[in-house]
Amino acid sequence: MIVRTPPLKKRRPDATGNSESPKSDGRFVIFEDLPEPEPELSHQHSDQMLCTYQCRQLVKADFLDALSSAEKQSQDYQTKLETMDDNLRKSEAERMKFRDQLLYAEQELAAAKGCEQALQDQLLKEVNESQERLRKQIHIHSELETKFRKEMELRKNAESLLSSAKQKASDLEGKLSHVSESIEREKVRLQKELTQLKQESKFSMSRISADLERMECKASNSEKEAVLLKEQLESLQTKLNECLHEKNEVEKKLTTLTCQEFPSDDNILVRHLREELRNYESEVREARKWKASHEDIELLREKLLEEKGRRERAESEVLKLSEAQINGKKLEDELSSWKLVMKEIPGVTSAVDIPLKFEALQKEVLEGMMKMGEVTARLKQVEVALDVAENARQNVETESALTNEKMELLKLELKRTELLLSSTTEERDRLKIIVDQLKQQKNVEAGTAMTDGTVKELEASLVMKEDLIKKLESSILEQKDVNARQHNEIKLLNERLSSESRRIKSLEREDDRLRSEIAILESKLGHGDFSSSSTKVLRMVNSLAVDSEAKQTIEALQNELQKTKDKLQAIEELKKQSGDAGTLVDSYISGKVVQLKEQIATLEKREERYKAVFADRISVFRRACCELFGYKIVMDDHQRSDGIPVTRFTLQSIYAQSDDEKLQFEYESGNTKILGNNYTQQSEISHQVEIFIRKLNSIPAFTANLTVESFNKRTLS
Amino acid sequence: MASKTASKDIITLRGSTAIVSEFFGYAANSILYNRGVYPEESFGRVKKYGLPLLLSQDEGVKTFIANLNTQLSEWLEAGKLQRIVLVIMSKATNEVLERWNFSIETDREVVEKGVSREKSDKEIMREIQAIMRQIASSITYLPCLDEPCIFDVLAYTDKDVAVPFTWTESDPKLIANPQMVKLHSFNTKIHKVDTLVSYKNDEWDEQ
Repeated sequence: MIVRTPPLKKRRPDATGNSESPKSDGRFVIFEDLPEPEPELSHQHSDQMLCTYQCRQLVKADFLDALSSAEKQSQDYQTKLETMDDNLRKSEAERMKFRDQLLYAEQELAAAKGCEQALQDQLLKEVNESQERLRKQIHIHSELETKFRKEMELRKNAESLLSSAKQKASDLEGKLSHVSESIEREKVRLQKELTQLKQESKFSMSRISADLERMECKASNSEKEAVLLKEQLESLQTKLNECLHEKNEVEKKLTTLTCQEFPSDDNILVRHLREELRNYESEVREARKWKASHEDIELLREKLLEEKGRRERAESEVLKLSEAQINGKKLEDELSSWKLVMKEIPGVTSAVDIPLKFEALQKEVLEGMMKMGEVTARLKQVEVALDVAENARQNVETESALTNEKMELLKLELKRTELLLSSTTEERDRLKIIVDQLKQQKNVEAGTAMTDGTVKELEASLVMKEDLIKKLESSILEQKDVNARQHNEIKLLNERLSSESRRIKSLEREDDRLRSEIAILESKLGHGDFSSSSTKVLRMVNSLAVDSEAKQTIEALQNELQKTKDKLQAIEELKKQSGDAGTLVDSYISGKVVQLKEQIATLEKREERYKAVFADRISVFRRACCELFGYKIVMDDHQRSDGIPVTRFTLQSIYAQSDDEKLQFEYESGNTKILGNNYTQQSEISHQVEIFIRKLNSIPAFTANLTVESFNKRTLS
Repeated sequence: MASKTASKDIITLRGSTAIVSEFFGYAANSILYNRGVYPEESFGRVKKYGLPLLLSQDEGVKTFIANLNTQLSEWLEAGKLQRIVLVIMSKATNEVLERWNFSIETDREVVEKGVSREKSDKEIMREIQAIMRQIASSITYLPCLDEPCIFDVLAYTDKDVAVPFTWTESDPKLIANPQMVKLHSFNTKIHKVDTLVSYKNDEWDEQ
């Protein structure tokens, strides 16, 4: 909107308003005239306030323009208003909608709040619970910590014990080494002592022997002295005797002379004699001394003998010592050899094993003996066979001897016949001579007819004899032939005999070898040996046994677990009562339980595996059956009304044309029965059932026939 | 059972295999009964080989022997089985106390060329009967098993045999220094089975 011209009263100059600037009062200014009046603006202010026509026209036009534009604007505003109204309405509707939504949202909010409340409650509960749990956990934790501490203490104790034990062990080792060292030292010392003693003994022996020699020398000297002294003694005794005799004589003389001679002479003589007597007495003393020394010599001799005995004893002791040393060495050698033997014997670590080993060896020896017995038995058999062969040989030999004898006899006969022959030839010769003589006689006597007959007879006999001789000669030849043949035969027989005996021996050897081989092979066979190059040993995985065993084991383990749990409870109770005593047991039992659980787990795993394997195999078997016999077989177990379990088999031919073509059989302890159903009640099938199953009692024939028929139907259709 | 052909005296590889594996099943049962490995009441009486024999009714044992026989049959038919050993061990220590050794010799020609042999069922049964009698009478000389025992079966096969899934290679479970008793043998003309029992030396004997 354009500002209109201001009211007139405002055109009046205001004294107070003059001070204000001309532009701030809002007067109407024509901009076309502005460039001209500008220089006088400050002087002609009131003249410019007058509106000219042009101005009015302009204003009017402006006004009209303004009006029209205002109208337009009002219209615009009207339309705007309308649109605004519409918008308002729309917004009202939207508002309503939003209100509804708001309400709904509020409701939801309320519900959500409720939910939240509930969740908060739950959360609170959970928090409480978890706090409780936490508390419990903390409690357990603290318990465990205490346990741990105890364990640590125990461990420390154990470690300290271990270290003390180690120390002890080291101490002991040190002691041991010390002791062994001391033993070694002692040993060395003792050996030294021994050698010293030996040396000493040798020295003493030599000393003793020297002493002995010395003593012997002494003894011999003293013996000699003694002999000399004896001799002296004897001479002195004789002298003494003589002296005594002389004394007696002198005394007698004295007595006789006392009355005859002067006493002065007598006295002198007496004195002289007394001196002599004293001398003699001193001599006697000396002799006594010698005697004493002689006795000393005797004593010394005895001592010498004693010393000799001692020496002998010492020598024998020395010998014994050396023997003992040798024995000791022997024993040491034996000990070392035993040790070596012990080391050499396999499987023997200590002397305790040796008797066991010996027992085993004795057993072996017994077995060997048994084997030897067997072998000797076999040997005896062989010997018997040999005896038989020997007998046969002897028989043959006797036979040959007999034939030899025969041969000898024949030879003798031959000789006899030869002798006979010679005698007969001689006779013949003789007779010939006689005949010649007779012939001569005949010639001489010229026809003595008497002798003719005899001559003829003789000639005839001669001829006969000659025939006989020839016969005998031929028989001899025959005999010779026979002999030669027999000889040959005998030779042949002998050869055969020897070859036979050789063969017997070789056969016996072969027999022995084969027997031993057979024995070895039989033992091997019985033992179960086999050559790994051509044979392998298989065993069936006894799944059932393993299964049952596994089940049993699981049961046993479960029982054990239960028991241990009970024990654990009891122990825990005890532990509560007695504090730390149970901790060790606790850890042991828990370890055990873990172990047992592991075992159970492995066994269960194995069971699962077996089951899987079994299922796999079963499916293969089923498929193979289906392929081979043309029927899918489904097996399931049922229980009859009387509680007896039966197995039902449902067979469906792979050539079946509908799903209803099923055969059902019931199998119970070796008997299979067909069950009636819609399919089997069909006349064709029931007829077949009647023939094959009821009459011919053969289910396989029935199913096979059915298979063939179904197959035909399929292929023909 | 042996395959029943027209003539009773003909025996095929499959028939022989069946006879041997069946024999082993009965022999194992008889041994388990006679040696008291399983309680007496867990056995049921049947008539076989002209003898009253006892078969274990324990499901585990039955399944075990059935599975075993299946595998043994397979090997026997391939001629790969050399020996079957039934081992009786102490349950507590696993020490081997007895080894029942069934050595098997297979006629290679039959396996390779598939020819058949001639022997009557009756004769084979008679031979098996003798072995069964010997097993039953073995308790008179075998040492007493006075502790709980378990048994295991080892199969000695050719080296080239693939180890089946349910089988595993094993050690031969030998007895050190055993006593041995050789039992009768039987021959189907395709498989010859020699039976031998070796057992741990009783300490009482040596004392």
